[in-house]
Amino acid sequence: MPETIEAIFKKHGRTSDELIPILQDVQKEFGYIAQESLKKISRYLKLSENLVFGVASFYTQFRFTEPGKHAVKVCLGTACHVRGGSTLLDTLERGLGISCGETTEDRRFDLERVACLGCCALSPVVQIDRDIYSRMSVNRLTELLKKYE
Amino acid sequence: MTKEKKLSITIDNRKVAVKPNITILQAAREHNIYIPSLCTLEPLPSYGACRLCIVEVDGLRGFPTSCTTPVDDGMVVRTDTAEIRTLRQEVLKLLLSEHPASCLFCTEHDECKDYQGTIRKVGVTTGCRYCPNDSLCELQTITEKIGLTETSYPVYYRGFPVEKSDPFYDRDYNLCILCGRCVRVCNDIRMNGTLSFKERGKQTTIGAALDRTHLDAGCEFCGACVSVCPTGALSTKVSKWYGKPDGETKTTCVYCPVGCELLLQIKNNETIDVFPNYDSTIDQGLLCVKGRFAIPEYVASPERLATPQRMTPLGYEDISWDDAIDEAAEKLSGINPEDVLIVVSPQLTNEDLFVAERFARELIGTDQIMSVLITDMREETVSFLNLASASSPFNVIDTADTILTIGFDSTYGFTPIGIKIKKAAKAGVNLTTLSVHESNLDIVSGETFQMNVTKWPALLDSIMGKMPGNGKGTKLKPLNKVVVIGAEVIFSPKRGAVFEKIVEMKDRFGWKVIVAHPYTNLMGLLAMGAFPGIKRGEIVSDGTKSTGPAVEDPLSAMDLARHRKVVYLIGEVPFENLPECDFLIYQNALSVKSTRKPDLVLPSSLFTELSGTIISAEGRILPIRKATDPYGKSMPDWQIISKISEKIKSGALKYSSISAIQTDIKKQVKSLSDVKKRLEFRKISAKTSGKGRTGKRLSDPKSSRKPWEEKYRGIALKDVVSGMLVIEERRRHE
Repeated sequence: MPETIEAIFKKHGRTSDELIPILQDVQKEFGYIAQESLKKISRYLKLSENLVFGVASFYTQFRFTEPGKHAVKVCLGTACHVRGGSTLLDTLERGLGISCGETTEDRRFDLERVACLGCCALSPVVQIDRDIYSRMSVNRLTELLKKYE
Repeated sequence: MTKEKKLSITIDNRKVAVKPNITILQAAREHNIYIPSLCTLEPLPSYGACRLCIVEVDGLRGFPTSCTTPVDDGMVVRTDTAEIRTLRQEVLKLLLSEHPASCLFCTEHDECKDYQGTIRKVGVTTGCRYCPNDSLCELQTITEKIGLTETSYPVYYRGFPVEKSDPFYDRDYNLCILCGRCVRVCNDIRMNGTLSFKERGKQTTIGAALDRTHLDAGCEFCGACVSVCPTGALSTKVSKWYGKPDGETKTTCVYCPVGCELLLQIKNNETIDVFPNYDSTIDQGLLCVKGRFAIPEYVASPERLATPQRMTPLGYEDISWDDAIDEAAEKLSGINPEDVLIVVSPQLTNEDLFVAERFARELIGTDQIMSVLITDMREETVSFLNLASASSPFNVIDTADTILTIGFDSTYGFTPIGIKIKKAAKAGVNLTTLSVHESNLDIVSGETFQMNVTKWPALLDSIMGKMPGNGKGTKLKPLNKVVVIGAEVIFSPKRGAVFEKIVEMKDRFGWKVIVAHPYTNLMGLLAMGAFPGIKRGEIVSDGTKSTGPAVEDPLSAMDLARHRKVVYLIGEVPFENLPECDFLIYQNALSVKSTRKPDLVLPSSLFTELSGTIISAEGRILPIRKATDPYGKSMPDWQIISKISEKIKSGALKYSSISAIQTDIKKQVKSLSDVKKRLEFRKISAKTSGKGRTGKRLSDPKSSRKPWEEKYRGIALKDVVSGMLVIEERRRHE
């Protein structure tokens, strides 16, 4: 049961320098910054919603749509790129019918690209939730996705 | 002025004396030395974003930006060396790498300016007009001054669709150079916060949260962003393709009693656009949507009346002024004063009202000068006038320590007051907002009450009780308390009880009151005596403590249910509760769609076409200046009334010029002669007549609970100005 946004506010002061810490806590608790949260943060800090959004959209760590059940991250760092990371991404985009940064309609998967996961020796790498899958191929990836409901 | 020690600096081998604590850029501008800059925006602090204002300073490493470097004694600055020029050209090239540059670098560039701009498909030699800002563009000027004639980078066209869904202005962010002026003006000067930078790097755009429209994001449509944009990214819908205006006329806005200064932009004898005057002491250039965007469409409306018209069995026929004046005079001469009702608009000028008042009292012999505020305010007319005439100047907000707003919202009107309140609240002043619907001030208020008007009096009681310094015997310093009342209370049928409480707050507890009502020249109307029971000049205080007029409730004094022979509407449309009549004279600027068709139509000129004065809510006498010729055969209202009078009784009200009227006003309304001073008004009190209510009671207030809408001379702005329709809908749904 997520704690309420009001409980998060209690931990922070009402000055504008608390904006990013509040956004981080809200994102952590709810998984994303909902329109409703945006409005409440705006009221709490007396900043306009547009300004709050402007700050939040600068950072890729904040998202404004409800995340899917599983987060799929494809590494496109140098090593993964050289060994076909972008082919994996293409496959996923086609297979899931979404583009990078979107969520499937059935809310099962989120698709994102990352710059490096720090295990270049195992490239190309795909991360699903907290698990790292190394030396991926298109075939293995298609099989793998079926395991995630 | 106190003697400030001046600093001596050298700019481009010129020794100049400058004030301390200013930047090199400011110093150079003071001495007319040109340094290009695209991001500076006075009076906001330096931003240092565009990097075009780089200079060389002896002893400083590299090329500091002159907008962020303060002057120092003995500084040696060079603004235009070969090296700086090369650097600036490079900076500008990078800036332009995301800006379509065909208007800047084209082989036909110089010839093109001589060609005619046209959007018609006809056989004339034309120049390109693909950007509404062509020839008004700061980017063009700077490119020329920096001497850039070609660019070596390919232009990256971002391909954003042009955003046209919002009223009043379009946004083409393909032309945006992200200088940040609009974001800063919206957040820091207008205190509104609709615009912000979104995303980052190459993806950066400007706009509202989550791809909302500006309307949904809380935009006030003040147009400040459009005014400061150095490119053609933001452009006013109505005047987009007009090009450079021929002239500018400074005048006063007539849409509300704040009296903001306007800079009318004139082209080909037409008002094409309106700019704010940031140097204005009245409004600081903080216009609202009405002043900024709702004027050109109103004065050039297709509904404008061009010639006098007479109703015939076959419909209206155009007639000459002579015939029209003859007809009006014939109906009005020798008429029994009780058989005629003269209706004036509180949005007329002082001169119009003065002539109308003399016409009614001296020529017709009636005291019954009707105006729409009597039927709007009904039984509370006198208490409304009492509050409005005791209204304080707006700068009391700057020194207030407690502010209470009641039913007040400044999104689409009274923005100079709203922004003052927002600034005060941000600086820590205790702000309480009380309203039925959400107010735009709620976001900065300390306490917000949202409830039905019926519960307000009780709440006001508790607020009065809670205030420190109200209790007996306490020796607290008197607080500077300001209450601002807005449309939600003024147009509520339950206003009576709230008015009573506010009067109590004012009289017993020393609250200063600001009434944000829509009757532009209400104070002028009262000062000229164009109101039953108030004589000319009677309410203007001469500095003594003498009491003002006691007024009988005009609604019962004026028997509105009684049938009249003639009703003469001056700058007003037929409204609810207007008596029935045999002959209706309609003198106004726009045609009217009413069930009772006027028998005689007299076309009036509008405020952009005439000179005069109005008295603002603060008691300032403000000038209206003529910017264009009258539309069609229209004439100023005073001139029409004067001509009719001449026909009825020669020499009675003969005025041939506005200055003749002004001389007469000064003679007859003594206290008005000192124009520079802010006028103070005497208290208007209620007088109960022994007669009691005469005639039939008017229809019950409940039936006339039509929501209030923005009007000018009786015509709703939403019916004339297309964008105001959207604004009006938004205002009502909230």
